[in-house]
Amino acid sequence: MATLIIDRFDGKKHYERSYSLADEDISGKTLLNTLLLIKQTQDPTLNFTASCRCAICGACGVRINGHAVLACDTKMDELFATYGADILRVSPLANFTVISDLAVDWEPSIDNLRKIHPGLAAKSEFSPQDGCRQTQEEFDRIKKQWDCILCGCCASECNKLTADRSDYMEPFVFTHAWRAAHDSRSKDPLLHGKPAVAGGLWNCVHCQECANRCPKGISSADDIAGLRAMVMAKGMTEGEGPAHARSFYTDLVEGSGRLNEVRLALRTEGVSTLARTGMAITLLRRGKMNPLEVFGGETIEGHDALVKMIEAAHASEKE
Amino acid sequence: MTRHFTRRRFLQSACITVGALTMNLTGIEKALAAVTGVGPMASCDVLIIGSGGAGLRAAVAAMKNNPALTVVVVTKAMPSRNATCMAEGGINGVTDFSKGDSYELHCYDTVKGGDYLVDQGSTLKFCELAGPAILELDYLGMPFTRAEDGRVKARPFGGASKVRCNYSADKTGHIVAHVCLDEALTHGVKFLMDHELLDLGVDSGRCEGAVLRNIRTGEISPVRAKAVVLATGGYTRIFWNRTSTPYISTGDGVAAAMRAGVPFKDAEMIQFHPTGVVHGGVLITEAARGEGGYLLNNKGERFMKNYSPSKMELGPRDIVARAIETEIREGRGFGQGLESYVLLDLVHLGKDKIVNDLPQIRHVGKLFENIDLVDKPMIIRPTAHYSMGGIAVDKFDDMSTAMPGLFTAGEASCVSIHGANRLGGNSLADAVVTGKIAGDGASAYASAVGYCAGRHIADLAGRWRSRFKDVTDGGDAGRMYSIREQLGARLWDDMGIFRTGDKLTALTRALVELRSQYDSLRVPNANPVYNSVFTEYVELGNMLQLAQAACLAAAERKESRGAHTREDFPVRDDANFLKHSMVVMDDAGNLKLRWEDVEITKFKPEERKY
Ligand SMILES: Cc1cc2nc3c(=O)[nH]c(=O)nc-3n(C[C@H](O)[C@H](O)[C@H](O)COP(=O)(O)OP(=O)(O)OC[C@H]3O[C@@H](n4cnc5c(N)ncnc54)[C@H](O)[C@@H]3O)c2cc1C
Ligand code: FES
Repeated sequence: MATLIIDRFDGKKHYERSYSLADEDISGKTLLNTLLLIKQTQDPTLNFTASCRCAICGACGVRINGHAVLACDTKMDELFATYGADILRVSPLANFTVISDLAVDWEPSIDNLRKIHPGLAAKSEFSPQDGCRQTQEEFDRIKKQWDCILCGCCASECNKLTADRSDYMEPFVFTHAWRAAHDSRSKDPLLHGKPAVAGGLWNCVHCQECANRCPKGISSADDIAGLRAMVMAKGMTEGEGPAHARSFYTDLVEGSGRLNEVRLALRTEGVSTLARTGMAITLLRRGKMNPLEVFGGETIEGHDALVKMIEAAHASEKE
Repeated sequence: MTRHFTRRRFLQSACITVGALTMNLTGIEKALAAVTGVGPMASCDVLIIGSGGAGLRAAVAAMKNNPALTVVVVTKAMPSRNATCMAEGGINGVTDFSKGDSYELHCYDTVKGGDYLVDQGSTLKFCELAGPAILELDYLGMPFTRAEDGRVKARPFGGASKVRCNYSADKTGHIVAHVCLDEALTHGVKFLMDHELLDLGVDSGRCEGAVLRNIRTGEISPVRAKAVVLATGGYTRIFWNRTSTPYISTGDGVAAAMRAGVPFKDAEMIQFHPTGVVHGGVLITEAARGEGGYLLNNKGERFMKNYSPSKMELGPRDIVARAIETEIREGRGFGQGLESYVLLDLVHLGKDKIVNDLPQIRHVGKLFENIDLVDKPMIIRPTAHYSMGGIAVDKFDDMSTAMPGLFTAGEASCVSIHGANRLGGNSLADAVVTGKIAGDGASAYASAVGYCAGRHIADLAGRWRSRFKDVTDGGDAGRMYSIREQLGARLWDDMGIFRTGDKLTALTRALVELRSQYDSLRVPNANPVYNSVFTEYVELGNMLQLAQAACLAAAERKESRGAHTREDFPVRDDANFLKHSMVVMDDAGNLKLRWEDVEITKFKPEERKY
């Protein structure tokens, strides 16, 4: 016997409701199947959203014990194993306004997407009649970010949004800005970069939670770092954010005793790598990031970490 | 979002409310509304229902065509939850003429693939637009997999004599959906999200607008529109749990158009894909067989040797699907009833191959059936995949229907381009091409006419409000789910891959019975806020209506053509049935069938052989 406690909202009041489920009904099933089963056999008033049931439409993001998942791509057995319990709490995505039960309001997010001008403005040598030219490498560079399905998991995990939603957009919005700006066909990366700055690009707290929970393995945190480097390189160096970034890099380099490697990386990889590396280092220092998850394998510490991270960044750039 | 919009906010927001649409009225229109007694009513020039590839393209085209118009996209979920995003394979369109390909050849393949139930003039025009549409998508930012010369890359695809299926890795549809959404947002298209189309209103033969339900608040409102574009996608969900399509594909737009008197064309033409997962019907792509997977029956035989000895597992979709169903029917499958199946065996390909080249398929196996394809064969059965039939299009050039003011596009519409069987890769092209045409057509029409008074939608809205009250007044939702399950199961058994006159007669009766159960149905949730039980109730009503129409046409089409296989009439009969079926609903709600000629220009019907 397992129990799901679901956080409910009927438009007026918030409450919770528990549903008991026989093991044979949910063993081997996905969380989405389980929600459907509850709706169809126990409580038709339960509301949630789903459409494709195969992890591509992004409709079914919810939280399990506080962490965002795609309901259709998550097995009940795995959840029980992960949490070592047969009682789980299902809640709507955090950092969204709840409309009803597990259904949340996407309107503000859609409006934020609109702000960063998600459509490509192609270079003048291209035309709608003849299309564009792009190399496979240039395509490969942006294809990961194009995996975003707008499920909202990153936004749900985002510590910055939890602290204050008023001056920041959802992490996926920055990923969309990144992919438009870094497309080799794009004539003006700042078309997407400027509204990203206006939407709080410099307010990311580098907690990496967005990257940890993205069902598609996208790191919005990296994309934010990449956009920061891009806007600085394009001359948007005014303001507190870029100033902080500059002094931070100086500190890091001087304090590390590994000046040469960093300089080397800077020369070979450009600002973007350093920006990303920098972000990762802050997190390590604060003990907020688990290097195991980001760089795979072993725990790394101190200055060696820097070298490894530069290598990792180097490798990922090449992939 | 509040109901009180300033003009400025209206212009700046991507998402609006029905309330905001009353702002668009001019003084004269307000006065008119007062005189006609319907009061000021939400109004917009072009109302587009559906936010798949077709609806989004229509919206941008309509705005570009006449920037002075208000263009609004209504969608019953968040805009990117549609069928478009689920397409994997690719999008057809000739862009490379160097190896002998041409629009005409694309047209020929489409006509032949559709078993000649294809309107050839329109289809040639479609092919002529599909090629340029690919280049336009490239320009709009669609990231395509690239060829050596930096152009869009294409792959071979079923039924195509040349390589013209352009693609973006294995998620072409997802990419198309998001390019279209990005373009729409960038252009300032307005969305009414979480709004469901309930009905269309007709005033002296002209479409006057729609009745919408705001799912979030439960509010039901009439919205006048000079032109309406129905881009609500297919109706394949009528097979409920035996389909690869998303939950939204309940054919609401087709059903509403029928109730407004527009014919439902080729309703019986539904494509089955050979390989769906047994529990729920999710698609397993052709790649599994393309990479060398075997289909096995309960004797461990590669049974395709008896059906398509030269091509084996790689035969055309309809042949493989029929072979699997035959094995199951003749006792060489596994399992019982709806959960019968055969095996798709990849084990011999080896772990490396499966892990590296077919990771997605392995994932689906684990997710839905708890089977690791490295160790064990997958259990599969055909699944309903695409609706060739849809809202009858009167003129391809503007995607108008026979009703002035009503336009349609994408899978909801039927031109017919796909005839009795759609070629893979043609439906994304259809959505993108016909969406744009419909947007242009609707925009041109809306620029030239005024609003209708809106009496009928006002009246219909009132009736829907009372219906909500009556239906949600207690009762048993379990009955509704049971009707839905029965609908899917009955359709699968009697109007699935093999059809006979007897089965269809029995189905006709069964559907009448289900319909009467539905009519007395009550569901226990009176809360107007996000009442998803009521949404499901409305969808079920639409599906029953569409199933009845499809069954009527299937019973009368006494031949086998494309996806429609009649065991009692196993051959194609061009003399009597080279015709489109048109199901029309009369004022009393009765269904009538008539036949309409197929447009044949260049390609004379011949036997469909591969
Ligand atoms: C698994 C799968 C794989 C596929 N693979 C391919 C492929 O490789 N190549 C190819 O060409 N095609 C493929 N197709 C088919 C193709 O994806 C669709 O035919 C096409 O995308 C349909 O687009 P559309 O815009 O007409 O409809 P959809 O994308 O289905 O959009 C319909 C829209 O209407 C809205 N809607 C529906 N009812 C209402 C209502 N009552 N009120 C308001 N809004 C409503 C929905 O919310 C949705 O936004 C595939 C389909 C599936 C399911
Ligand atoms: S239902 Fe589409 S992502 Fe889960």
